[in-house]
Formats: sequence, C-alpha cells, structure tokens
Amino acid sequence: MTMDEDRDGFATEYVLGTLDAEERAQADALLLVDQDFAAKVREWERRLGELNVLVAPIEPPAPVWDRIKAGLADAGQSGHLHLPEVAAPALRRDVPGAEIIHMTHRMQRWRGANIITGMMAACLIGIVLVRENRPDMLPPELRPTPRAVVERVVERVVEKPVEVVREVVREVPSAQPAQLVAVFQKDEQSPAFLMSVDLEKRTISVRPVAADRLTDKSYQLWIAPQPGAAPRPLGVLANDASGVSATLAAYEPSVINNATFGISLEPLGGSPTGQPTGPVIHAKLLEVPRP
Amino acid sequence: MLTPAELVWLMAAVAKGDQAAFERLYAATRAKLYGVVLRILRRSDLADEVIQETYLKIWHNAGSFDPKLATPITWMVAIARNRALDVIRKKGETSIEDEPAAMEAAGEEPNPLARREMTEELKRLLACLGQLEEDRRRMVLLAYYSGWSRDQLAVQFDAPANTIKTWLRRSLLEIRECLGS
Repeated sequence: MTMDEDRDGFATEYVLGTLDAEERAQADALLLVDQDFAAKVREWERRLGELNVLVAPIEPPAPVWDRIKAGLADAGQSGHLHLPEVAAPALRRDVPGAEIIHMTHRMQRWRGANIITGMMAACLIGIVLVRENRPDMLPPELRPTPRAVVERVVERVVEKPVEVVREVVREVPSAQPAQLVAVFQKDEQSPAFLMSVDLEKRTISVRPVAADRLTDKSYQLWIAPQPGAAPRPLGVLANDASGVSATLAAYEPSVINNATFGISLEPLGGSPTGQPTGPVIHAKLLEVPRP
Repeated sequence: MLTPAELVWLMAAVAKGDQAAFERLYAATRAKLYGVVLRILRRSDLADEVIQETYLKIWHNAGSFDPKLATPITWMVAIARNRALDVIRKKGETSIEDEPAAMEAAGEEPNPLARREMTEELKRLLACLGQLEEDRRRMVLLAYYSGWSRDQLAVQFDAPANTIKTWLRRSLLEIRECLGS
C-alpha cells in the first residue's frame, strides 16, 4: 500500500470515526500541518455529513446553554496572551509539514512503551509549528491564554513527564544542520514550554507556549548532563512570558545531545538551594531539520 | 431548522462576536447536534459536556468557517462528532455485552420520518450505500452513527479488527466511486 493510499484511508477512517485515540491524535496533528490531508477530511465530512439529516433531533437540557453562556463570558474576560517576538526557533514554513508526516509514519512502526509519548511529542511539535506559523488555524484552547491556577496544572505535569523519544533523531534524514527542539508537555493537548538549542553556538532558549503566568513564583531551567547526574541550573525564566536564553558553553555538543532538561516551579527568583525544590517536568531533545 | 443560507448569515454574525446571533444559531442547531453526539456517547452527562465544548469552539472558530467548503451544519456536526469520538475513544471501549439494547438500536437507520428533508446528495449517498453488501453497509453506519470502534465491529461481525479496517476503507472507496459516477 502506498503512503497516499494509506493517508487516504486514514482520512476516511478519521471521518468515519474508527481510528483509535492514538491515531486520532495523530490525525489531528496532520490536520494542522497538512493541507492535502485536511482537504481529504473535509471532502469526507461533506460526503458522509449528509447522513446526519436522518439523525433524530434531541433537545439538550436547558442548563447546557447557561454553561455555554458562562463559558463565553469567561473567554471574554481573559483575553489572549501575546507572545513576545523571540528569535528562535527558526523553523521554515515549508519544511515542517513533510517532516512531521514522515516522522509520524515512521513512528507507526514502533512498538513498546515509548510509542505513545513519541507520537504525542511529534503531534505537539506539529502544533507548535503551526502556532509559530498559522496561529489562526488553531482551536482557541491551543492558542496561548493566561491561566490562573498554577499549582494544579503543574501537579498534572509531574504525573505525565515527557520523554521525547530520541530515536526519532536518527530517523529524520537531513544533510543540513539541525535545530534541536524539545517540548515540555503540560497535558495531552497543550505544550507548556518550547525549548530550542543551537548546537553550533551552544545556546539554549526556552519560552512558554501555553504556560501559566506566574507572579509569586518562577520557572527555572535545569540540565542533567548524564542520566542520574545532579541537575545544574541554567537560568530562571522571566515572568513576562519572554522565557529565558542561556549559554551551554560549558557543555560539549555530544553532552548536550544526550542531556535531560528540566523545568521546575520555584520560589520567585529561582531555587534557593541550587537544586530543584518544586515539581519538575523533563524533556529530551528532538532534532528538527531546518533550512 | 433554518435554511442553509440563514445559517451562513448567522455564522457570519457570530464570527463578528454577535451573541444574539450565536443564541439563534444554538437554538436552530442544538437538537441536531445533541442527537448526533448522544447517539455516539449514549450518556447524557458526556453529551452535555461535549455540546458545551462544541458550541464554545463554534463561537471561537466561526471566523474560520468557509461557506465554500462546507454548509454550516456539516461544519458544526463535524466539530461535535470529533469531540464525541475523542471522548469515547479516550474513555476506552464500552463493552458491547454491557449494552445489548444500545447495540440493537444502533443497527437501525435513524429517524425514517426525516426522509422528507432528504437532499439530492443524501439520496445519492443512500443509493450508493445500498450497493454495498448488507454487512458492510451496517458496519459503515454503526461506525458513523454510533461511533463503534474497529474492535467493537470485530466482535459484532466476527472478524479480526484489521480485516474490519480493510473492509471499511474499501467500502468507503466504493462509495466515493459510486458518488463520483
């Protein structure tokens, strides 16, 4: 079966509804980055959508409308968080779609515990790329919005740490210098931080993508050069959503490549002890080819 | 239900943030969308949540609705169905042994009274569905209307899930060809 036939069938089953949860997440990421796939899905939605004429209408309970109205009011009050202009990551508009598809297809062949987090990471990267390029395509819940309840969200982060599957790096053919990217994941839907590393210049930058704005605490960035090594502080993120940039001059590229990075929630200004004191989320690096 | 042209007009007003238009859009479409998601979720608490999320998404995304690509109701139903399918897939499989009544009900063609409202497109689609073998047709309808997974269909039709997948994809290809001719 060719990839096109496969993709056709994937779009068909997405609309029919028979994909499993993992495949649906994959399709959702494809929808954001692949116009051709999105067009196929729309065609099937139009063809099969006719069937809904035959579905008997059922009145929803009245309180449903009250809750929708309340939701509108909330959305109106909070407004949108405007991300500052940050130089990195330099991802080209026309590259990411193809790469993500390639990666997700490759990942279909993998089995084992890593597959879900790996695919999720690819989906998140896809979403992040779209956020960079076409924020208008995103559903509002994926656009950056300030959130009020910090501790609760961070707790959930700790329950689901992301280990981006490093083997992806080997699967992406590229003769060009690569940019390394990691996503610190908040939950299945929203990336919280996007980290990018420039191996040549040995710099790192982290910025919130959908993270909570803090006023009385700080997020701090850490590096654990080897598995099991004590984390070392790299910098404290600014609380104005601009994130942090830091140098990695003290580390060899091969070390950076294999390091684990973490973001922890600390007292305002950073950890007083030199070690993470609050909940930590981890990420490893994922290579994304760039022009 | 309002005419498609009226719905397009309402969508345009909603895109500009017109809450009164949004309320009219809700009044005109809520029962259809609720019917669609309740059929898939079979639990009113879940259906309530999905409908709330769906309409909030409609409110926020009305600006991205393109009448050249879809009718408003197709667009809205797609949002609702996708949300319902996400919920039911993440919830894990409902054992069909638990719900024999739901299983029987799911096999029926919904609401024959609505035939009066049939569009030409729907008549063609039903004609093409009619050309499939009966089992294949039921499979497609159970998946579309009731949100059955491949695994649930595999049990019901006594075939491996991979075979179900192949049958479904092939059936839909046949339908596409039939509609194209």
